[in-house]
Amino acid sequence: MTRSTSNTENEICVSRRRILQVGAGLGALAMPFINTRYSFAAGAPLKFWQFYAPGGDVPAQSKWFEDAVAGWNASHDQKIELEYVPNSDYMNGTKLSTAFASGQGPDIFIVSPGDFLRYYNGGVLQDLTPYIDAQAQADFPESVIANRKVDDKIFGIPMEVEPMAMFYSIKAFEEAGLNENDVPTTWDELLEVAGKLTTDKRYGVLFDTNPGYYQNFTWYPFLWQGGGEFQGADGKSAFNSPATVEALKFWQDAVKTGVAPRQVLGGGGFAAAANLGSGFAAIQNVGIWAIAEMNSNAPNMPYGIFRLPIPKGGKYVTVGGGWAFVANAHGSNPDAAGEFCAWALASMDKGSIDRVVNWCTVAKSDMPPRQSALQAGGDAFLAGNMGKFSKEIYPGTRAEPRVPPEVYKIISDAIQETMLGGQDPAAVAEAASQQLDAFFAGYSGARIL
Amino acid sequence: MARTASNRVAAGIPAAAGLTSRQREAIAGYFFVLPDALGLLVFIGVPMILALAMAFFDVDGFGGYRFVGIGNYQRLAADPLFWKSFRVTATYVLWLVPALYVSGLGLALLVKRTNAFNGLMRCLFFMPQMVSLVVVALVWQVLAVDKIGVIPRLVSALGLGSFSFLGDPQLALFAVIFVSVWFLMGFYMLIFLGGLQDIPSEYYEAARIDGAGPLQSFWYITLPLLRPTSFFVLIVSMVAAVAGAQTFDLVYVMTRGGPANSTMMTIYYIYQQAFQYNAFGYAGALASILVLALMGITIVLFVFTRGGRFNYE
Repeated sequence: MTRSTSNTENEICVSRRRILQVGAGLGALAMPFINTRYSFAAGAPLKFWQFYAPGGDVPAQSKWFEDAVAGWNASHDQKIELEYVPNSDYMNGTKLSTAFASGQGPDIFIVSPGDFLRYYNGGVLQDLTPYIDAQAQADFPESVIANRKVDDKIFGIPMEVEPMAMFYSIKAFEEAGLNENDVPTTWDELLEVAGKLTTDKRYGVLFDTNPGYYQNFTWYPFLWQGGGEFQGADGKSAFNSPATVEALKFWQDAVKTGVAPRQVLGGGGFAAAANLGSGFAAIQNVGIWAIAEMNSNAPNMPYGIFRLPIPKGGKYVTVGGGWAFVANAHGSNPDAAGEFCAWALASMDKGSIDRVVNWCTVAKSDMPPRQSALQAGGDAFLAGNMGKFSKEIYPGTRAEPRVPPEVYKIISDAIQETMLGGQDPAAVAEAASQQLDAFFAGYSGARIL
Repeated sequence: MARTASNRVAAGIPAAAGLTSRQREAIAGYFFVLPDALGLLVFIGVPMILALAMAFFDVDGFGGYRFVGIGNYQRLAADPLFWKSFRVTATYVLWLVPALYVSGLGLALLVKRTNAFNGLMRCLFFMPQMVSLVVVALVWQVLAVDKIGVIPRLVSALGLGSFSFLGDPQLALFAVIFVSVWFLMGFYMLIFLGGLQDIPSEYYEAARIDGAGPLQSFWYITLPLLRPTSFFVLIVSMVAAVAGAQTFDLVYVMTRGGPANSTMMTIYYIYQQAFQYNAFGYAGALASILVLALMGITIVLFVFTRGGRFNYE
């Protein structure tokens, strides 16, 4: 028995040492490979992050990205590789922020104006001006490119302009005994028509309800229509104004009267097929991209489009958003990344112009950010619903503001507290204005536009 | 098992200079614990220390650090949204913990007896735990959609009116609590089942002979003897509720902290500050307060129960 125990202990003892020896050996063997990511990174393809993945809502959109990258790779030594991030994670998730925080941000990615300052103020955006010739720079209207510029340098190349409008279901209108002559032109008319369209299974009108910069983006035109601004020319908050209060109250009334939902389907108010197409809402506040989405995902549903209604005494204005290519100044090859952005979207070559036309008319349904693309697209921008946007909705478009995250959070909270929280719009506007002033006083980043 | 000098000699192991067998045994033990301790240190301890250190800096998430002293804590003290998130978390904890205790214990008592039917019921109650929390949140979100979701339609058909369970700030937090309880109660049922099975059946037989009814048996036997289990359930559910182990996923998918910040738990607010607003330093300060709160809760519970020891032990 003693002998046996002794043997067992002896084996255990040897085993411990073996474990440590083998562990140390494996560790030593692994050491040379730990940092290989960096040693191989120089020759590795550049990473291009975006959210138009194969199998997404509109197949032509991911194909456009694939074709663009394939075209570049066929003619350049520095290759580029597409990587996909789910839309919700891209806009409100951790993927990009953790990547940049750990120094592993993508070489090329896309940003919306609402998120531009986060990256510019973080110092990660490459100046793209040297890669775009003067003629191509002039091809972008100032109203489109301004919110991607700092000190006259271009840090993002827009791929689209996406004005907001109202889409409506013709079937729902007919069921309610309405027709195109009943299309509302004022806020009061919209609430009245929405009331007629509301049933026990359908809302009359839909505004986005999810907190975030997309909801802010969709609310800005209602602020502007009455002459409101969140920042005055003196740099101080202009949020505490009658126009702000009216705009907040308008959305609040829509929800309070039960004609607008407190929740939206399909991940957000940007999803037209999930909300308008499903019959959840009869009128939806959504952008031009919904034309392609409806064609692809609700092709048999007849719908119409009208301009954003305005308040009494207000002036028509809508907001034009849109994503832009940007390059990481701290990426593995910022020069090549910058060249790619310019080659893809901002060259005077026919291929570059056609690529923009193709994105705005085939892959998506957007207004082009370039004059040359508008001309090259010709009838594609003038026919049908695109023509409606070109002729009626797009004129009067104001660029989406670029604001730091702190500002959009304050505005987002104001919208949420009034629209869904039922709080007094005047009190909320005043409190938000004080918060904005406190922030503006200490803000030192690029100009807020 | 201590190794003796004689069997070491028999095994041919040379004696290490100056070390007793007890010391050598202790050193061996430390070596076995070392990998786990290193893992904890590298993946839990160091990040915690770094997060705490970050609280004294303005960290933009792009490599920029600026020392701000206690600036983040001053900002935190004046931040109404932080205090709101604290109130939301407290409300969540105050409803969730008792609800989990009652539902977990209730289910355990229901399926206590071992038979085929109870086996099936145990499986059914535990089944939500087998599903990803994200899937759970998505399913409940669809069920609760205004007007067309199954739940609002059912409630409306019963004549109770029209409700927006996830869109109304008065209801959204309770909707999240309901889903949390539905998801977690099977887990706590299992823990209570383990506790119930540790109670000798003789106690119940003796009580029955003495004329005790089911309620008296529950009050005088089951509850007192379940105190260690109850303590475990309370502390685990409370810490999980505050730290947001499950809550975060539900809030992220179902409400994103809305509507009107009504489901803005502190853990979600920390996430938002760090990853959506790139205020990593401020998020570090918020996280340190949350850790302090968790430590406080744990200490109070330990003091209250004298370290989890109970009289009958």
